[in-house]
Amino acid sequence: MSQQTIRFLLDERAVEVGFNDSPELSPTTTLLKYLRSLPGHKGVKEGCAEGDCGACTVVVAESGEDGKLVYKALDSCLVFLPMIHGKQVITVENLAVRKNNQVILHPVQQMLVETNGTQCGYCTPGIVMSLFALYKNHHEPSREVIEDALTGNLCRCTGYQPIVEAALKACTNHGKDQFSDKEKETSDQLSAICRNKSTLTLKTPTHTYLKPFTLAEALSLRGLHPGALVINGATDIAMRQTKSRELLTEILDLSAVDELKTWNAGPDGFIFGAGLSMEQLKKFAAGKLPALYDILSVFGSLQIRNLATLGGNICSASPIGDLLPLFYVLDVGVVLKSAEAERVVPISGFITGYHQTVLQPDELITALTGPRHSVGTLLKTYKISKRKNLDIATVSAAFRLNLNDGMVAGIALAYGGMAETTKRATLTEQYLSGKKWSRVVVENAMKIIESEFSPISDVRSGAEFRKIVARNLLLKFYVETA
Amino acid sequence: MSKPLSHDSATGHVTGESIYINDMPVNGQLLTGRVVTSCHAHARIIRIDISEALKTAGVHTILTARDIPGENQMGPVIHDELCLAETETTFIGQAIALIAAESEEAAIIAEKLIRIEYEPLESILSIESAMAANNIIAPVRRITRGEVEPALRKAPHRLSGEMRTGAQEHWYLETQTALAIPGEGREMKVFASSQNPAETLAIVAEVLGLQKNEVEVEVKRIGGAFGGKETQGNHVAAWAALLADATRRPVKIHLFRDDDQVMTGKRHRFLSKYEIGFDDQGMILAYKVELNSDAGSATDLSRAILERSMLHAENCYYLPVVSITGQAWKTNLPSNTAFRGFGGPQGMAVIENAIDRIARFVKKDAASIRFLNFYRHEENNVTPYGQKIGNNRLFLLYERLMNSSEYLGRRALVDEFNATNEFYKKGLALMPVKFGISFTTAFLNQAGALVNVYTDGTVLVNHGGTEMGQGLHTKIKQVAASELGISPDRVRVNATNTSKVPNTSPTAASSGSDLNGMAVKNAIDTIKSRLAELARKEDIPADTPFEELCRLAHLNRVSLSATGFYKTPGIYFDRETGQGNPFHYFAYGMAVSEVMIDTLTGSHSLLRSDILQDVGDSINASLDRGQVEGGFIQGVGWCTTEEIKWDSRGNLLTHSPDTYKIPTINDIPADFRIELLPNVPNDGTIRRSKAVGEPPFMLGISVWLAIKDAISAAGNHLSEPALKIPATHEDILLAVNSLPLKQPLL
Repeated sequence: MSQQTIRFLLDERAVEVGFNDSPELSPTTTLLKYLRSLPGHKGVKEGCAEGDCGACTVVVAESGEDGKLVYKALDSCLVFLPMIHGKQVITVENLAVRKNNQVILHPVQQMLVETNGTQCGYCTPGIVMSLFALYKNHHEPSREVIEDALTGNLCRCTGYQPIVEAALKACTNHGKDQFSDKEKETSDQLSAICRNKSTLTLKTPTHTYLKPFTLAEALSLRGLHPGALVINGATDIAMRQTKSRELLTEILDLSAVDELKTWNAGPDGFIFGAGLSMEQLKKFAAGKLPALYDILSVFGSLQIRNLATLGGNICSASPIGDLLPLFYVLDVGVVLKSAEAERVVPISGFITGYHQTVLQPDELITALTGPRHSVGTLLKTYKISKRKNLDIATVSAAFRLNLNDGMVAGIALAYGGMAETTKRATLTEQYLSGKKWSRVVVENAMKIIESEFSPISDVRSGAEFRKIVARNLLLKFYVETA
Repeated sequence: MSKPLSHDSATGHVTGESIYINDMPVNGQLLTGRVVTSCHAHARIIRIDISEALKTAGVHTILTARDIPGENQMGPVIHDELCLAETETTFIGQAIALIAAESEEAAIIAEKLIRIEYEPLESILSIESAMAANNIIAPVRRITRGEVEPALRKAPHRLSGEMRTGAQEHWYLETQTALAIPGEGREMKVFASSQNPAETLAIVAEVLGLQKNEVEVEVKRIGGAFGGKETQGNHVAAWAALLADATRRPVKIHLFRDDDQVMTGKRHRFLSKYEIGFDDQGMILAYKVELNSDAGSATDLSRAILERSMLHAENCYYLPVVSITGQAWKTNLPSNTAFRGFGGPQGMAVIENAIDRIARFVKKDAASIRFLNFYRHEENNVTPYGQKIGNNRLFLLYERLMNSSEYLGRRALVDEFNATNEFYKKGLALMPVKFGISFTTAFLNQAGALVNVYTDGTVLVNHGGTEMGQGLHTKIKQVAASELGISPDRVRVNATNTSKVPNTSPTAASSGSDLNGMAVKNAIDTIKSRLAELARKEDIPADTPFEELCRLAHLNRVSLSATGFYKTPGIYFDRETGQGNPFHYFAYGMAVSEVMIDTLTGSHSLLRSDILQDVGDSINASLDRGQVEGGFIQGVGWCTTEEIKWDSRGNLLTHSPDTYKIPTINDIPADFRIELLPNVPNDGTIRRSKAVGEPPFMLGISVWLAIKDAISAAGNHLSEPALKIPATHEDILLAVNSLPLKQPLL
């Protein structure tokens, strides 16, 4: 039996939503729209409808290991309602405790008041929720952690300084608050909802929304609904609705398929599940794969990284995808599965053109596999954008180098933003192979890079800038590795 | 007055309980308003066919220009801006039709069914092409002292050049919003997100063909404005009111982010030309500047903005001989409008860049050239427009900031760093700001208030200023409590409402607390004198609690309600001669910023900024710091990442936060030090304070100057980097690469 309603906790309250009985709601109604339609939930704001400003930030708690809850800040403008099935949504209205006619503010709220971290107040509910997630996840966070937690919250009034100060002052109690007191109870309630593993099948006259809980079921549904849009975090797809006003009629949501969220790194290499969120990937990469960690540190914002997944990122085959240059130089394999078969395609063969891939209508990306590189492999990623954080790359690059006695034994140079897909600088690679890794050689190679690409001028920069940056990045790589 | 009170709405903000217009509960009759706009920068409108669209389920009405019952006009100063386009469209995003529907979805479906036939005309999309076509929007303006040409010819050294400063999107978090609720007969109440409720009222009345006493406008709070809602908040209000009037139902318009960015005006971009003459020491002898602004398609506030840029073209420097020319040009873009600084930044940037060049030319540190040219106390203290500088704080600020920022020591460290690093270069710069406080349109310098005291001793203050985050209501509350000698929690500041205080000025020109604070004080003085008279007559002891006194006043038939009024004394300005005394006083500030650039990628990081700001005796130091920090970062955005681009047809390319980049939390200085200059009371203002809203914005130019210094270092300071505002990563890299004396990388 499939489930035809979604169930979640809204703050403390258990909520069940069926989509056939309410004309106002459809399965692709965003969490933001839903919340704002409720009485007493106008705190959450729409500032941009594309996950850039964070005014719509809410915190979602889900069951983790040992009955612990995991708290994540999300942009509610990009979340379709069924994505919160089995989770707790915490909103700004529910952070303060009301006792005997007294309002006791949550520590993050109290500190924001004390530091005058609010001016016009419109971004504040989102800031509060990002601070709340920070409070739950970090004790005495560093400035770097604070900045990362708030990158996805634009404020036009304060200049952020008092908000940093509030974060420093508030997050000093190991995340303890009224939510930790009820953690076990909440976790049990969520587990009870999640126990039912039959596919959420939400059908209305206009929409079909399918949310399976197992890979087998997902693959079977993929075969049955080849026209369905496959989503996981939906950070890209949701904008087709919120910004382009497209009606998304058929959706296959993979966000509950746990089998896609595994990873493994061994002597033979690594395998990353396609359903891993960018934030999970970042945590994995810390210390193990610095080049991946570096690029993920400037990938969107925490709210976006909590939603966006590896599979979605590869599948969108964007010429400016942040991770793709790294995957190109690592020669990763894309694991594609259908109900009947499985194949592994190298990334460079997987992407065939501007937003084009070889993915068949009955296939899903299930994982990414990569070889283990020798200890001496030098690997670096670069992202050049107008604004350091929360921006789309003007040019990105990843370089892999193996030196043998100062000679180039292996080299791979991949660029984003320089062509209609991510592209290797193969002529430059050939030139460098076997040569001495020296400044003179690198400077000669820079001339070749320039000849290998014909970038375009667009809103992010002119072609000239892209050309100069592309060659300079090689020099930068040399300076950092020599 | 010293204990900083948190923002009046802070608790509401952090709990999500503060209500903005889009959050207001409205009865089930509410309709959504949608604005249908032009997709041509310049075109004749041949035909508008709404017949199919009108059949859409849920659509209540669709209006075009011919349906406007009053005058089709919403130009605030000059009536050159149509409420809805008639036969011609003059920019992309111009309103042509209005839809009222039961849902946004229905309105969008209807919009797609509206057929508009255009005949495209040639469009003007840059200042240069407007100049070539002599497409002016207002007559040229001049401010001069002495004969500039001979003085320039006689000067030992001369530099000339061009300076471009870019447009800037306000990016208030709350997009333009209005809710119009029809009343009895044709009465109309509008809840507006407007810095200028009195003008919103005037324009709503005008388009509806009503008397002003039939319209009421209320502003509870604004989710950010920065000048973007000084006139352009009127537009959505007028459109919503037209739809509400036609349907007799409440109508709300809340612009979608991209629509807001496309439809509304920005900070004026400027193309300025200058020539500066100076001696061997770097002392300025003559300065000639032509300021050309892009007004967009209508006048809006362009004249006043250009005027302010002319009045700040000299910034903090005495210019013995000077010629300032200002010209606003008409283009086929949305009408540009007020934005924090109101032309000041554009005027100042030119001379700051020129001084930077002088310093490089005479091979001295730029801060010392700035110091050399500061207005003096006893001589060289008259502005080009004839106003004498009193209470000059420049030397006080300079000395204190040079010390506290350790400028000289860090200059040596920066030089050392640059000498030993091939690809990373650091830059350091000091930027002073002198900002004239008052509306340069003299009659606007007035304010009204209505103070009601109730018999329980609580106070409700109404005044003409709007709360947009700056903390005006908090300061007003402090002023009222302190003048009455009661606790601030006994005072409430009401939503700004045109039926309580009429005929007010916009909350702009940093003047909100100066003007309204005085008006509130004036009203309270009236009440206090009545109470004092009562106490004398009735022998009421001096230690009688305030609420008891209020009760007694009521029993003795003494009015506990009073209006207040204030007008700034002694200000005048003759626009024809360019001479006068336009400012009540000047607010001063100074900043030192240090950056590091990566000469291989053009990226930069802001390492440290020290700001010293003169706010007189601060009414609320915490709020004032907030204005300094926030204004500065907005200025940094204008100078670095906030770049606006249009395509060759006049389409805005940077129409969402995806492509338009305001500063994030990562873009503030790693080390950010703010100090308010102590012990500098400002006589003749409310609580001897000074305005603080706009001046810190221009301190953001220090970051641009520091970036320029770092680029210059890449060429061993031997040549002048070519740089515009904003200096994006692209500009920085191209500037580095075009340094003639730099060793080529290849």
